[in-house]
Amino acid sequence: MTTIDTPRPEVLDATASEDNYLTHTRGFLSWALTLDHKRIGVMYMVSVLASFFVGGVFALLLRTELLTPGRTICSAETYNQFFTLHGAIMVFLVIIPSIPAALGNFVLPIMLGAKDVAFPRLNLFSYFLWVAGAAFTLYSLVAGGFDTGWTFYTPYSTTTTTGGVIPVLVGVFVLGFSSIFTGLNFIVTVHKLRPPGMTWFKMPLFLWALYSTAIMQVLATPVLAITLCLLIVERTMNIGIFNPAMGGDPVLYQHFFWFYSHPAVYIMIVPAMGIISELIAVHSHRQIFGYRYIAYSSVAIAMFSFIVWGHHMFLSGQSGLMNTIFSLISFSVAVPSAVKTFNWTMTLYKGTISLTAPMLYALSFLFLFTIGGLTGIHCATLNTDVHLHDTYFVVAHFHYVMMGSALIGMIGGLHHWWPKMTGKMYNEKMACTACIIVFVGFNLTFFTQFMLGSQGMPRRYYDYQPEFQIYHVISTIGAYTMAIGFFTTAVCFIQSLMSGPKAPSNPWGGVSLEWQCASPPPHDNFSTVPHVGNCYDFSVVRWDEKTKNYIVDHKLELAHAEQGSHR
Amino acid sequence: MLCTVPLIIAQSALSAATPAVTPADFWLPIGASVQAHNVDLMFNIINYICYFFFVVVVAMMAVFVVKYHAKRGTHIRTDGITHHTILELSWSVIPLLICIGIFFFGFRGYIDLITPPKNCFDVNVTAFKWGWQFKYPNGAQSDNLVVPSDQPIRLVLRSNDVLHACFIPAFRVKKDIVPGRVTSLWFECRIPTGLEEKDGYHLFCAEYCGMGHSDMNRRVLVLPQAEFDAWLVKQAAWLDEIPDEELYFKAGPKIYARCSQCHSIDGTDGLGPTWKGIWTRLTTPGGARFSDGRSYADLIGAGKEFATPEEYIRDSIYTPGKHLVAPFGNVMPTFKGQLNDRGIESITGMMQHLDEFNAKGVWTKTLPPATTAPETK
Repeated sequence: MTTIDTPRPEVLDATASEDNYLTHTRGFLSWALTLDHKRIGVMYMVSVLASFFVGGVFALLLRTELLTPGRTICSAETYNQFFTLHGAIMVFLVIIPSIPAALGNFVLPIMLGAKDVAFPRLNLFSYFLWVAGAAFTLYSLVAGGFDTGWTFYTPYSTTTTTGGVIPVLVGVFVLGFSSIFTGLNFIVTVHKLRPPGMTWFKMPLFLWALYSTAIMQVLATPVLAITLCLLIVERTMNIGIFNPAMGGDPVLYQHFFWFYSHPAVYIMIVPAMGIISELIAVHSHRQIFGYRYIAYSSVAIAMFSFIVWGHHMFLSGQSGLMNTIFSLISFSVAVPSAVKTFNWTMTLYKGTISLTAPMLYALSFLFLFTIGGLTGIHCATLNTDVHLHDTYFVVAHFHYVMMGSALIGMIGGLHHWWPKMTGKMYNEKMACTACIIVFVGFNLTFFTQFMLGSQGMPRRYYDYQPEFQIYHVISTIGAYTMAIGFFTTAVCFIQSLMSGPKAPSNPWGGVSLEWQCASPPPHDNFSTVPHVGNCYDFSVVRWDEKTKNYIVDHKLELAHAEQGSHR
Repeated sequence: MLCTVPLIIAQSALSAATPAVTPADFWLPIGASVQAHNVDLMFNIINYICYFFFVVVVAMMAVFVVKYHAKRGTHIRTDGITHHTILELSWSVIPLLICIGIFFFGFRGYIDLITPPKNCFDVNVTAFKWGWQFKYPNGAQSDNLVVPSDQPIRLVLRSNDVLHACFIPAFRVKKDIVPGRVTSLWFECRIPTGLEEKDGYHLFCAEYCGMGHSDMNRRVLVLPQAEFDAWLVKQAAWLDEIPDEELYFKAGPKIYARCSQCHSIDGTDGLGPTWKGIWTRLTTPGGARFSDGRSYADLIGAGKEFATPEEYIRDSIYTPGKHLVAPFGNVMPTFKGQLNDRGIESITGMMQHLDEFNAKGVWTKTLPPATTAPETK
């Protein structure tokens, strides 16, 4: 067991600055043709953040339009394109790839103590597929845009006169394959590349989450691909599959679409839950509470995700019996979600909590996910859903889960692994301030939308009744507040890249393997197979004031183990 | 199922006396249908359950963070517990039982909400891009939904083109309208509103349907039975009551309001061809071209497909996709069953006298003096 804990930290940092994955080779092609999972992860991250900026601009535009009833800055057609683009970009280009493809790619092999994912070439290919999908989506803007809503409901999507529908369908089709290949890669990697000693129940919970996500990606996404193909066939060749004017059935489309898109919701949130398990454990330096329950609940959510799609269609003309069954099954998702929430909260108990920026994001997640999850009950209950379906209540509910939880989780994870990815620390005060601004802005934006919805304002409305205006004004102010928060985060990260102090190998005091290699990691991650211990046993961690670094001391661990065996 | 007992008690206690109307509060708008009370009750019960769990989670979080936060470098304490099976089982099983309880009452409420009583009064509702038409058993039509009070109403929902959804927030009812299918919803309202639009309840389209989605808002106007019966008779006869020679300027503008979303009078571009100069184009050789290359003159005239321009217009309203004027797409819904011959006569009459109308379709000539128009818009 000669491990990386033998060299002293100063030595580690010295070697890091000389040769790491960022400096190993140079030039554009060394990035474009890289097979290194860390570089692919970084490229994904940059691309996803760029898309997040574009999707965010559309969000601000549509919030600005909704400031007053009637026309504020644009026409109804333009507004419809804004919300469609906002949704499509945020779902397909940002949230779905953000955690698995960007952070997961970087962290997963290192957490496993592996040199790379199982299929590095497939990994690069899936990145290029993402780029191709993004290019098609951008091209659709030039080709006339599209105003179908991100759900592409037929027969509107097959009859609308906007010219960008086919390009964006092709784009989403291609993006789907990017997602499938990443999932496939992760499944094989987790199965085959775990180091000796890391059994399933010794894996960090982030890996459990990524593994569950990968299963959903591989099983559900092909259905979306088929559905989009059929849609393209109907639109280009006038073959009636979904359009009743040609003998098709629009409800069939909804079944197909949600059979993918409901699991997709969990493809977005489950990896964020994995990040939160890491963040809360590491920053409160406390063994995660109820490891097995959290691990099982990820798998449970992945399984339930396939059998609840019908709750998107309670009013679509689907039979009452189907509605009843889907309502009942939908409630089952509440149980694993509740388990996770309580276990995270209990992990704080008797911890040693550092209120760092990643921890603030994790606490924000807990707050927002609790609201997002609980309001899901209103939507799963049949008679209240009749009133709330397709209103702003649903918009608020899924933004609390998709943005307040999935995206906040992603950004928290980015703050957590930023020192590892870049080798630089950031200004923590600034990062915490940004987090608080985003948190306040988020609640201003979306809590008001719960009231809008329960008061009866339907979603996707360009114009609205004057009595709703006050809520819309507050919501728009919140959106701009959030934009200021994210802008501050961006400044903080850019400042860190330009002039941030050098990051130690373990700035937060984590025990999982990624904290035991240098920051940034060398090209091969680990020179020898690392020592696998209990990744949530923080008793082996001690703070070294001289290097401002936490040190994982395996001698302590051995001593503890011996003590344990004596008892 | 111990934890569902409070639910049962709460529901039976509160649903004993069902009030006719529930006032608007922080969360919900006024509830004016007989079903609203139960939906609101369920909503509020769920709300209180949510408040409880939210406070528990956030309070625990806050207390732990305040109590256990420590500066970086503080000695890491190791006395926490790693798991607690009974605790973990309790927060799996209790939420599960509560959820089953909520499901059950939601399901029971839903059955009441979707099962219409036997003595319903039917109104046929047609949704189209972008408006509504409400048709009554005696043939009367209306742009707003006018219904009698204290009488269960069943709306029979059809779509002419894409998905729509009928949503009346004050009644807590909503249903998707799927082209090619006939769906329905029912409600009963006990609070008459009169025929003033501003007093009516909102009726929205809740399923995204394109450009005019948010323009599909109408009012539900509730009348006492006797007043409703009188309104219904009058409404059915409105076209017949107008003398033939006054049809084009009395009925024409009212019908044109539906056409105006796509067809302008002043020559501006819309989703369909402008009406400006249409009669000249129809009656002179050349005219506009169809997408198959033929012109009006090829289709209209003795021995051709349409004997007269009037016949062509009528056909275009009933089967709009048959001949498409270039470069417009096949987007117009059919109005078969919605406009009778007198209605179409009003339209063709208006087309022939377009110089008497302003850009908004308002008749600008003052002779003969205007008579009272029917009540609805």
